[in-house]
Amino acid sequence: MGQVERNMKLKLFTIILAAMVIFAAALFIGPKFINPFNVNGIEKEILISIRLPRVIVSVLMGMALGASGAVLQGILRNPLADPYILGISSGAALTAVVGIIGGSAFLGIVTIPLLAFIGALITGIFVGAMGWKKGGFWPERLLLAGVGLGFLFSAMLMLIMSISSDEGLRRATLWIFGDLSIADWSVIPYGLVFIAVGFIISISRAKALNALILGDELSHSLGFSPRRERFILFISVGLMTAASVALGGMIGFIGLLIPHVGRFLIGSDSRVLIPVSALGGGMLLCIADLIGKSVLSPMELPAGIVTAIIGAPYFLYLLRRKDVLSI
Amino acid sequence: MRKSKDRRLKTRIIFFVLLLFTIHCSLFTASNAESPKRIISLAPSITEILFAAGLEDRIVGVTNFCDYPEQAKEKPKIGGIANPSLEAVVSLKPDIVVMTMDGNPREFQQRLDAMGIKTYVFRSHRISELPDGIRKIGIALDEKKMFEDLALRIEQSLDGFNTAKANTSGKMLFVIWPEPLIVAGPGTAINDAINLLGGINIAEDAKGRYPKYSIEEIIRRSPDVIFFGRGKGMDRISRKLLKRLSSVPAVKNKKVFYVSDSLYRLGPRVISGLKELEEHLSKKK
Repeated sequence: MGQVERNMKLKLFTIILAAMVIFAAALFIGPKFINPFNVNGIEKEILISIRLPRVIVSVLMGMALGASGAVLQGILRNPLADPYILGISSGAALTAVVGIIGGSAFLGIVTIPLLAFIGALITGIFVGAMGWKKGGFWPERLLLAGVGLGFLFSAMLMLIMSISSDEGLRRATLWIFGDLSIADWSVIPYGLVFIAVGFIISISRAKALNALILGDELSHSLGFSPRRERFILFISVGLMTAASVALGGMIGFIGLLIPHVGRFLIGSDSRVLIPVSALGGGMLLCIADLIGKSVLSPMELPAGIVTAIIGAPYFLYLLRRKDVLSI
Repeated sequence: MRKSKDRRLKTRIIFFVLLLFTIHCSLFTASNAESPKRIISLAPSITEILFAAGLEDRIVGVTNFCDYPEQAKEKPKIGGIANPSLEAVVSLKPDIVVMTMDGNPREFQQRLDAMGIKTYVFRSHRISELPDGIRKIGIALDEKKMFEDLALRIEQSLDGFNTAKANTSGKMLFVIWPEPLIVAGPGTAINDAINLLGGINIAEDAKGRYPKYSIEEIIRRSPDVIFFGRGKGMDRISRKLLKRLSSVPAVKNKKVFYVSDSLYRLGPRVISGLKELEEHLSKKK
């Protein structure tokens, strides 16, 4: 037992260390290397007002997606669940793209994130209402409501995009693929608050999530009300996903596969899995964005594309090597 | 009573003098500020205007799509039009960034403003707005003379076309790309060019500036002339489209012409684009 625990601690320590190294690397390497011990005026400006907010946004988004993926796969008891399956992201994309193509900027730089957040929140509430029956959430109903609503919103999004030949279209496409290039300080506090609240809720209910995974009856006998816990956890997922989409658009892969990578590495105890998925998501998105803005610099590749390109092979490698596959 | 009135007057005068002084100071500094030495262009049309005005040496950054004139390709690149790299722009230490509102992200300007980097937005869309648009860039860059000269040159060339006969050249269509079928719609330099040459753009009432168009509608409106913009593989792809349009007058009478991309960007090259179309149109007769 002592050996296993020591092993686990070592793994956690390695993951945290790796995260630190990656965040620092993303900050200083970039398209052009900035020597942290010899920073001139213009480099300082680039570090503080361009790179740092961008690293923070990517880490926040990645953490939110990783953590909500881990929670969602638990409450829906489905290994294919990801934060986007609930339609939240399609709702956000719809309102954001309407804002981008309509060219609205009534609140300046926070307009689009705000629109996306409102869209995500409304969709989340709607999906929740659809999945609610007889005083509680039904995992299957939530999933189906999310998928159905997602299709509707995607179709509406495509409709808007196909009838608008405006230049806003290019911007909208970039946003949908996850665009971190405009990340700046103004939206970070809001994103941080919602993601932190969602994260704390999910961590504090991790034990209940462990029970939920075992089934409703077992969790009853363990002293957790499945209805109540599912409701609380659903809210935490909604907050984190909405804030993440609002910060920088849609990033695929992380929410679906990072929790599985986490399970391969440290097992499926939610108390560890949620923070590890969060860190893993943050690291992956951070690296992906670093690569995306550096390889073809100054051309920038959307982070969402790079995330899947570097994440998927690693996931497949783990899938081949490990034999455990459970939620 | 009198005294207090005097004092009030005095303070008013002092206030007024101070006000004049500050206004004068701000004017003075504005007019004496050095004209920007490091300019970044965020759009190919702007790059062409800056080059044509003779500011080549002061351009320190352009987009990856700025490919005209040839020397523009050698300037440092700052990324795409819809996704310019903020970091690349800032690290080039520009005195001013000239951008456009169709293509460049609005947030980009807000970010540059927040970092104290001056921006100027070029807002012209139509050929008729081009000379004044150029003059306004000249004011923003504090090089009125150079841009005035360029604007005058363009105005003089345009005058030659303005005398052209109205609606004498028939119905026209300018195909940007056949698959998907994108044509030049209203509010584009191409639409203006067609009008200046006495033609009517059959896609004039379309929604949007570069609409996806339907083949059916082309057949129904039967253009007398069809232009294709040149591009990689255009020969092959346009032939496929033309086969389906075989009943249209333009195709029957062999009034299908392939032209350069000069009219795609609202810059000094619209003049040569206009001349190119004119040559094709006069050739037929």
